[in-house]
Amino acid sequence: MTSLTSRRRSVSAVLAAALLGGCGIQIPTDPDGTLEEIRASGELHVGVSPHPPFTTLPPSEGQPPGGSEVELVSAFAETVGAEPVWVVGGEEALVKQLEKGEIQLLVGGLTEKSPWSTKVALTRPYVTTPEDGEQVKHVIAAVPGENALLSELERYLDGEGGR
Amino acid sequence: MSERRRTHFGDTELPEDLQHVLRRARRLEWVTLAFLATAIALLYLVMGSSQAMKAAWLEDMLSLIPPIAFLVGARFAQVRPDRRYPFGRHRSVAVGHLLAGAALVTMGLFLVYDSGSALVKAEHPPIGTMRILGWTVWAGWPMVAVLAYTLVVPVILGRLKLPLAEQLHDKVLYADADMNKADWMTAAGAIVGVLGIGVGLWWLDGVMALLISASILRDGFGNITSAVAGLMDRTAQTVDMTEEHPLVRQVQDYLDSRPWIDRHHTRVRDMGHVFHVEVRFVPAGGRVDLARIDQTVEDLRAMDWKLDDITVAPVRSLREGETQTAR
Repeated sequence: MTSLTSRRRSVSAVLAAALLGGCGIQIPTDPDGTLEEIRASGELHVGVSPHPPFTTLPPSEGQPPGGSEVELVSAFAETVGAEPVWVVGGEEALVKQLEKGEIQLLVGGLTEKSPWSTKVALTRPYVTTPEDGEQVKHVIAAVPGENALLSELERYLDGEGGR
Repeated sequence: MSERRRTHFGDTELPEDLQHVLRRARRLEWVTLAFLATAIALLYLVMGSSQAMKAAWLEDMLSLIPPIAFLVGARFAQVRPDRRYPFGRHRSVAVGHLLAGAALVTMGLFLVYDSGSALVKAEHPPIGTMRILGWTVWAGWPMVAVLAYTLVVPVILGRLKLPLAEQLHDKVLYADADMNKADWMTAAGAIVGVLGIGVGLWWLDGVMALLISASILRDGFGNITSAVAGLMDRTAQTVDMTEEHPLVRQVQDYLDSRPWIDRHHTRVRDMGHVFHVEVRFVPAGGRVDLARIDQTVEDLRAMDWKLDDITVAPVRSLREGETQTAR
C-alpha cells in the first residue's frame, strides 16, 4: 500500500514537473509568442502618442521621441535584449495597431482610467502624479492577452517603481 | 415570550426533533452566507480579466439568494394564519424559490451572451502580475488559490444541508444544498480557465465561462420549474421532485381501507413544508357518525407532522369525473 501511494505520488510529481517545467511551458505564456518574438528579433515596436512630459514628439525627422515614458520603455527594451522601434501617432490609431499586434507597447501618459482598458492590456500603475489636485495613476498599454510580455514589463516597472 | 418558543409552520407545530433540524438548518444557512461574503470579497480582490472567473464570482453573488430566501421564507411561514392569510404563509417558500430561479436565469442569459461574444470576438484576456507582500507574482496564482477555497467549502455545506432539507420538506433548502454540492464544478471550471490563460490557451477561459453560465441557467430553470409546480398545486412530491410523495398514497390507502367509506375523492397539495389534505367521501349506507370523521382526521394527523390542515367532508355523491384524479 505504502509503496503504491508513494509511487503514485512520485508519478504525479513527475507529471507536474513535466507539465510546468520539462516541456518548457512557462506560466504565463503569450498565446501569440510576442515576448519570444521580441527577444528573437531584437526589436520592440512601441507606439508613442505625444503627451508631455511623459512622451514628446521627436525634435526633428529621423530622431527618437523623448519623455519619461520613452526613456522607461527604452530601458525595458534593453532588459529583454531589444532595440525600441518608435511608431509616433494619435492614440486611437495606435490602440487599433496594438489590438492587432502590429505594435507591442503603447506609451502616451495613459492612466488606469483609460477608456482603452477593455481593448488592450494595461499594466498596474507604475507612478502616481498630482494633476489638477487629483492623484493620477499612470500605466503603459501592451498587446492584449500577451501575458508573458505584460508580466515581464510589470516586473521591470516594479524594480523601477517607488519613484 | 417563553425562552424556547415552539416553532410553528403556520398552525402546524413542529415535532421536537424537527425543531432541532430547523435550528440547525438556519445556522448552516447563516454559515453559508458568511462563507459567501468572504468568497465574494476575496474573488473581487484577485479578479482580473478572466471571463470564467467573472462568471464564478457572479454565481457566488447569486448563491446568496437561496439562503436568504430560505431564512426569510421559513420565518414568514411561521406566522399563524389570520384573517388576511387564512391558509397561512406557507407559499412564501415557493415565492422565494421563484425569485431565486428568475435571478439565476437572468444572470445565466447575460453571462452566456457576455462570454459568448468575448469568445466570438477572440478577445484575449490579459492577466498580468500582482504585488503581494513585496513579491511580484503572476496574478493567476492568487486567483487559483481563492477559487480552490470556494471549491471545497460549499461541497461540505451542501452535503450537510441535504438531509435537513428532506426532513423539513423544504424545497428552497434542497435546491440550495443541491447547488452547493455542484458548486465545485464552477470553481474547478474557473481554475481551468485561468490556468488556460496561463499556458497561452486564451479560448479555454471563454469556453469554461460558457460552461459555468450554462450551469447557472440550468439551476435557474430547475428552480423555476419546481417553484411553479408548487404554485400550480401539483400533487405533493418528494423534495427532490422525482416522485409523488409517499404520504399521498398512504392517505389514500388508509381511506380505501375504511369499510364505512363507499367512495372518496382525495387531494393532497404541498403548501411548502406542510400539506393540505381534502377528502370528500360518500358514506356507505348514506349515513356516517361524526366520531368516525373525527377519528379519521386524528389518524391522518398522526401519520406525519406535515399532515395537519385536513378537511374530511361527507357528501351525498361524487360529481362525474371527480374520481379521475384518484389514480
